[in-house]
Amino acid sequence: MALRMWASSTANALRISVASKTNLSSSYSLSRCFSSVLDGLKYATSHEWVKHEGSVATVGITDHAQDHLGEVVFVDLPETGTSVTQGKGFGAVESVKATSDVNSPISGEIVEVNSKLSEAPGLINNSPFDEGWIIKVKPSNASELDSLMGPKEYTKFCEEEDAAH
Amino acid sequence: MRSRSLEVWKLGRVNYLEALKLQEKLASDRKAHKISDTLLSLQHPPTYTLGKRKTEHNLLVQISELEKMGAELHYTQRGGDITYHGPHQAILYPIISLRSVGLGARAYVENLELTMIEFASLYGVKAFPGKKGETGVWVQDRKIGAIGVRISSGITSHGLAFNIDPDLNYFKHIVPCGIADKEVTSLRRETGTVLPSEEVIHEQLISCFAKVFGFTSLVWKENASILSDNEKS
Repeated sequence: MALRMWASSTANALRISVASKTNLSSSYSLSRCFSSVLDGLKYATSHEWVKHEGSVATVGITDHAQDHLGEVVFVDLPETGTSVTQGKGFGAVESVKATSDVNSPISGEIVEVNSKLSEAPGLINNSPFDEGWIIKVKPSNASELDSLMGPKEYTKFCEEEDAAH
Repeated sequence: MRSRSLEVWKLGRVNYLEALKLQEKLASDRKAHKISDTLLSLQHPPTYTLGKRKTEHNLLVQISELEKMGAELHYTQRGGDITYHGPHQAILYPIISLRSVGLGARAYVENLELTMIEFASLYGVKAFPGKKGETGVWVQDRKIGAIGVRISSGITSHGLAFNIDPDLNYFKHIVPCGIADKEVTSLRRETGTVLPSEEVIHEQLISCFAKVFGFTSLVWKENASILSDNEKS
């Protein structure tokens, strides 16, 4: 948890340095080291996480994703009751700079959306794995989870992706 | 450094919806690894576009009046607020895999800013990225270039618009990118020198893009039949 807090304070510091445009490339290379990955979650290559508990799977975007996106200003939420498909987009997250589609890591029916994000889209930046969750899904095929990455694999995936820079 | 190739399509003037359809097709082809990173270079007829947030309050005229002005209005899936596109404004729509260039969303957009800043400097114009919350590229407090980007499964679409010498009156009907009390400017207005042909300008902008993003080889496609081929397929 301490590391996580350090990570977010580093991210905040970076955001300030990005805003003042002092040195973009160095702030970028620093940021790659500090995104956190949580145990117990599954991860998609398009940087969403899913947490399966009982009959419900909670979905959000990862710390890595929010960090690369920057300050989130708008979240385009889907409707409860609609269905989502693994690997297909269900909504979008807009930062001051770009709009990024959000894909569902699992197929099923949306049973709840995080309406708090309409008023407070910044929850995605401040608490990507907790208060910044986006939808809850009743999975139609829980075995799809097996095709996703675990925390170690995902950490490695992010490192490789950043190293490609 | 590894050689990276970019396919550049020079399309001339293209209707907004046609360009949108082409981008969607290319983005899906890029996602399926059917094509390499691609850059569309074009201009639009007079068009106002809104981003995903649908901030119509920043359009200052009735939609019926837009038709009288000969302008179209389109809703898009990009980020950002309302903007204007039109003749004598250079547009670049990169359809690239962020994973292949090793960039996150923010770094990608900062590279688009840098592309326009480098380009403006060729004409002795000192441009800067917007302050916090202000997108695009500015000359002092005058906006010269706009950015609106969509990222879908790591593939980019939409992109940047740089004002070479558009009719700036069109910007009076909107609050550009939602920022009030700010002027819009153009390269023509900011530089004392005579500008070369727009074809040369587009090529310079493309070169700046390639340099900033580290593309080492450019494959030029200058085929007017691209769009009609696309419609048939």
